[in-house]
Amino acid sequence: MDWQALVLSLRLAAATTAILLAVAVPLAALLVLGRGRWLAMVDALTTLPLVLPPTVLGFFLLVLLGPRTAFGRGIAALLGHPLAFSFDGLVVGSVIYSLPFAVQPLVAGFAAVDPALVDAARLLGAGSMRLVTSLLVPLARRSLVTAAVLSFLHTVGEFGVVLMLGGDIPGSTRTLSIVLYDQVEDFNYAAADRTAAVLLGICVVLLAAIYMSGQMRGAARGGRGA
Amino acid sequence: MGLALVAPAGAQTMVRLAAAADLEPVLPPVLAEFQQQTGIRAEVTYKASAMLTAQILNGAPFDLFLSADLGFPERLIAAGLANSAAPVTYAKGTLVLWERKDTHLPPPSLALLRDRNLRRLAIANPERAPYGRAAVAALKSLKLYAALEPRLATAENISQAAQFAESANAQAGLISLTSALTPELASSGRYFVIPRDLYPPIEQGAVIVNKAQNGAAARKLLDFLLSPPVQAELAKRGLTPVH
Repeated sequence: MDWQALVLSLRLAAATTAILLAVAVPLAALLVLGRGRWLAMVDALTTLPLVLPPTVLGFFLLVLLGPRTAFGRGIAALLGHPLAFSFDGLVVGSVIYSLPFAVQPLVAGFAAVDPALVDAARLLGAGSMRLVTSLLVPLARRSLVTAAVLSFLHTVGEFGVVLMLGGDIPGSTRTLSIVLYDQVEDFNYAAADRTAAVLLGICVVLLAAIYMSGQMRGAARGGRGA
Repeated sequence: MGLALVAPAGAQTMVRLAAAADLEPVLPPVLAEFQQQTGIRAEVTYKASAMLTAQILNGAPFDLFLSADLGFPERLIAAGLANSAAPVTYAKGTLVLWERKDTHLPPPSLALLRDRNLRRLAIANPERAPYGRAAVAALKSLKLYAALEPRLATAENISQAAQFAESANAQAGLISLTSALTPELASSGRYFVIPRDLYPPIEQGAVIVNKAQNGAAARKLLDFLLSPPVQAELAKRGLTPVH
């Protein structure tokens, strides 16, 4: 069992989830509260990573973040190292790759909040920021949990983008899904079984814990007569 | 029901081919020529040899397997999935050091591998990609492996290693001559042939899968690949003929 790769995968998923929530909450709020046709374009663009095969998306990122584009050179100058074949590069790739998994549940959750509440809050003078932090996010808490869980798990299981952008460097880009793939490719099925079992075990425990805490809070709320 | 017993006119006009990734730039014109001469159309899947082997072991319906080494076809023979006693060597691979023309590093040579400004060198996975194995063997022969190991970017297969270098994310790559000779890489970069005494030969082996539905067509295609005119054609595209 490659514990270094497991830790790396969990670190990558945690960093990606944190960034994604910070990006997706305002983005989803904009999509739900905003007006204008251009928002349909934003909506379409955030869903786009679902369409591309992950290795192709990874290849585009490899080119885009590479030294052949001004963008890639700018980032390399900013960070002091190129993004490809580094942990930071995987974070960038994962954020783009998992964006729809963070945005879509939040859009659904925010859209389900009663518009009368939103109008009332606006009448009482709440600004957009207040509207999001005090109304939408608390009321759509389940969607927030779903967005976080999906982003995290999607990143743990991410393979194609990491394969293209990572370069298989132990401790910085060799994630557990790459190790698992290598074990399968090398006909090392016993090791692959163990790796997959550990990965699935951790995810089941994690998910059960999250959903159980959600249910308990839900039950407590229900007790007050919701 | 009776109609099903009558073989359609095109029954023996197709062969399913599983081919190693390094053949992707090489085979299409050869297969087009084969179809013109024999009327047999080859349906081809290019992947890493390891993956094709796993797929055939699990029942993938291929007729002929062109591997990038001898080990994978031998594995199929050991599993009783191919009839021959040993794989047929149909070509040998050549390892080259490839570099974009617009890097600020010296042109490709063994000296480039010693250059401290070479921050990333792309290779294919040495655990299973034959060219990756050859790359590590060559670096070890040059006593450079320890120094370069932290600077290696390992690609899943040889065409991906070429992409790492072509996109300039790696400053150079140890790739196949077949990739280096493609129009895209030939125009954007230059290469240096790694001396052959630095790594064990990359012998590429073929086997006919014994459950082949189109066994006769597979045999014809293999004979075609081994014929002198086709071997000469392969040589122009970066594979060394076997005779």
